[in-house]
Amino acid sequence: MANFTKTLLLGAAGVLAMTAAATAEPVELNVWTIDRQADPGYNYVMADEFMKLHPEIKINIKRVEFADWANDVMRAVATGTTPDVAYVDNPNTPFLSAKGALLDLTPYLAESKIVDTSKIFPGPLSSVTWDGKIYGLPRGSNTIALYYNADMFKAAGLDPEKPPQTWAELYETAKKLTDPAKNVYGLAFSANSNEEGTFQFLPWAQSTGADFDHIADDGAVRALEVWQKIIDEKLASPDTLIRGQYDSMASFNAQNAAMGISGPWELPRMSKDAKFDFRVALLPTEKAGDTRASALGEGNNVIFAKSKHPKEAFLYLEYMYSQMPRVWNEFGFLPSYPVEAKDPKWADQYAVFAESMKYARVRGPSPDWAKISKAISTGIQQALTHQADAKTALTTAQTTIDGIVKK
Amino acid sequence: MKRYVLLVVALCFLAIYLFPLYWMYLTAFKPSSETFTYPPTFWPADPQFNFLQVFVDKKMDVYLWNSLVVACGTTVIAALIGTGCAYALARVRNVWMDVVLFLILMMQVLPPSLMATPIFVLFNQIGLIATPRFAVILAQTAKVLPLYIVLCRTSFMQIPKELEEAARVDGASRITAFFRIIVPLARNGILVTSVLIFLQSFGEYVYSRTLISQEDLQTATVGLMNFMGPNTTDWNGIMTYAVIYVTPIVLVFMLLQRKIVSGLTAGALK
Amino acid sequence: MSALLRSLRDGRGFDVALAALALAYLLVFSAFPLIYNIAMSFQEVDMFSLGDLVRPFVGLANYRTLFATPEFWSIMSNTAIFVILCIVFQLAIGFGLALFFQQDFIGASYLRGLFLAAWIIPALVAGAIWKWIFAGDFGVLNYMLMSTGIIDEKIFWLSTPAISLYSVIIANIWLGIPFNMILLSVGLAGIPKDMYEAAALDGAGPWGRFWHMTLPMMRSTIGAVTCLGVIFTLQQFDLFASLTQGGPANSSNVAQYWSWQLSFQNYDIATGSAVSVLMLGFVIVVAFFYVRSTRQEYQA
Repeated sequence: MANFTKTLLLGAAGVLAMTAAATAEPVELNVWTIDRQADPGYNYVMADEFMKLHPEIKINIKRVEFADWANDVMRAVATGTTPDVAYVDNPNTPFLSAKGALLDLTPYLAESKIVDTSKIFPGPLSSVTWDGKIYGLPRGSNTIALYYNADMFKAAGLDPEKPPQTWAELYETAKKLTDPAKNVYGLAFSANSNEEGTFQFLPWAQSTGADFDHIADDGAVRALEVWQKIIDEKLASPDTLIRGQYDSMASFNAQNAAMGISGPWELPRMSKDAKFDFRVALLPTEKAGDTRASALGEGNNVIFAKSKHPKEAFLYLEYMYSQMPRVWNEFGFLPSYPVEAKDPKWADQYAVFAESMKYARVRGPSPDWAKISKAISTGIQQALTHQADAKTALTTAQTTIDGIVKK
Repeated sequence: MKRYVLLVVALCFLAIYLFPLYWMYLTAFKPSSETFTYPPTFWPADPQFNFLQVFVDKKMDVYLWNSLVVACGTTVIAALIGTGCAYALARVRNVWMDVVLFLILMMQVLPPSLMATPIFVLFNQIGLIATPRFAVILAQTAKVLPLYIVLCRTSFMQIPKELEEAARVDGASRITAFFRIIVPLARNGILVTSVLIFLQSFGEYVYSRTLISQEDLQTATVGLMNFMGPNTTDWNGIMTYAVIYVTPIVLVFMLLQRKIVSGLTAGALK
Repeated sequence: MSALLRSLRDGRGFDVALAALALAYLLVFSAFPLIYNIAMSFQEVDMFSLGDLVRPFVGLANYRTLFATPEFWSIMSNTAIFVILCIVFQLAIGFGLALFFQQDFIGASYLRGLFLAAWIIPALVAGAIWKWIFAGDFGVLNYMLMSTGIIDEKIFWLSTPAISLYSVIIANIWLGIPFNMILLSVGLAGIPKDMYEAAALDGAGPWGRFWHMTLPMMRSTIGAVTCLGVIFTLQQFDLFASLTQGGPANSSNVAQYWSWQLSFQNYDIATGSAVSVLMLGFVIVVAFFYVRSTRQEYQA
């Protein structure tokens, strides 16, 4: 008993000492990011600047491999070792917020003088919203569009001022530009079995009115048939099925593909590697004048529910959010709320992507997005490898998705 | 004459087999832009020598040291625990020993990527995460122990029982006989196995990545992955890193293995 | 008490203690994760309950979900093809090389040492190198095959459904050869020379000696190598991650990679665990045969 009292006393003293220390010592925030220190490294830059403004807050950054992100986050949630702040890819955000892993920012936002959520574009906003509450702030966005090699257009007698607008034009142009003798494909894109395949396909389906919850609609089937035709006729490399977007675009940069579908993250590398006149156009739609659609990429900064320093963490989120006007020039993200772009880099390409951003739609949102996405990318691959026709493959995907959504 | 023919054949085998390795060395000398040209070049047009720069920039000294710590620790613990077990499994033949052998094999079937999460949960509970390199050593030992035991067991099998019995007749206890007679006779087998274990543990990746969170305690393979990632372009740098990592071990191993395998034939055993 | 001590020092107890030490170690560090996986395969698991052992019990529901997935059987048969082909070729090539390098010629042992280089290349690097070699458009393999006239058209090694699994198998055989070769070399070195000489005197030809002496004498080594080979092959993960990610359309997917995909890409840990339990069942069968085969081992 005496021992017990002693422990209790010691414990109490310890707690007292800790509270005393908390006021004197800097608060430490643990931050997880997928950025690299060597690259522009968004979080590294932000943390440095933030610590200069707030010397009492120290930020420890841990880099997490993008492929291992889910692995690490789930483990951390399970064992109560979550960081205070983390980057979350936008389609994955509902997965965490719906399960209560993230801090509800709504009360903090009500008092914030910096963040006005009503300004955020609807796409990014819906990715952080769950059940009417806000669980994160976008750090920036991106979307995909059609890159093309204007020099190759000229050489093939095509007008570089008139990039393909419709699927049929895209197909025809790709056909004209494909030249096996020179190892040139008409188009580079990604239809791999991961999220990237779904990411690239969804806007095609959406522009016809289909979406993930009715992916077997005729429009989506027609879209997939166009993809089939492009792969079958080798207008794009068969390796499209196993390559991510970044690898696929390397072949565009090396002039082994005349057009490529990808996002603004390509621009820094492209401006170094691509020794030709590269331009960007909006993603073609089925018919001229169809509703446009584009995929919303990039992600959000979130605070985990278990954070011991939510106030400081929110300060950091606010700071990052306030830096939105810089994200294009420094990190290659598109702003997630309207900002005045002063003297943007790659001004022409920026204009196209900024326009495309208006049509960018969030994937889902659904806490089960990962499973839905897998069903779609599996369907795409089955059709492209002719294990099933497009209609059957997408109907199978739809059945799987129904099972997930209605559970 | 026959010996020269054999040598030529051997060199052909080697050339085919080592082609991927050659490709790694080649890429380390090629500038990144040359990596994906077609037709591929078999000799760097503009050789790069970035070894020192990569070594310093990527803090390879720190990483390699950590890998060495993990590999040495694993090898020592595996040898300490595994040698005796291998011996017991080679000597005693009954149902219980069969069960032990069976259990040992069965317990290492899942790839580390699937074992990592439960291990993290366990180690986190018992506080081993605080000493992350030691935690990796323990986890990695569990992974390689079955390999060690099965391999060592075959070399204990080859030691005639009579030698041990003779020692026992001379009055040696089993412990004495084990350390004085058996282990020295099986030393080549133990050595080969330890070297294999060492090399495997040197390249450990999944456990290090999962259990170690401080950058400066991380191992060389994780350091490599940190700039390899999905969106990489610096293939020249990556392969330079890999070359720095692989070359010293290949050299040491070439010298060692001659001793290891040919040492066995010359043994006084048979 | 003293009897126990004496037994430990000098009797049966000595063997038991030695075996028990290793077993205890494995029970702590390997059995736990395994049981954990097995438990999860019968439970409902989400992110928050991942850290507990007590979770809602769902019986065989996860297994039913698993069997109902359309890709289940193709992935299982891919796994079987992967394991069997890898083992057969690794063993055959490894054995052939071990026999070859056992002959007496200049530099034999140094050259054999070079084969081991593949054993130490980090799996990630090996994956990257093979990906370039196999790349359809700019890969060096296609280039060499086409310039020597063996093929007329580029083969898409990794993205053709009928080929992709075999491409991964080729890369994995490459990785496994050194391990097989060095162990079989050690086994061969253990066969007394005078036995060969005696057999040669008896008029046995090279094939006869191989079938009637080398193979039986190598039984325990071959058994060990095969059994470990199966385990290593089932543990092969990185090659799938870097070469094909199981695609296209699961044509090169195998159980170990699928299990990971289910757990950490689909966040369906329970079903992922069910796959790993099936793998465990497979190894139980292999381990059973190996342990039985050790009964007829040659004992010096």
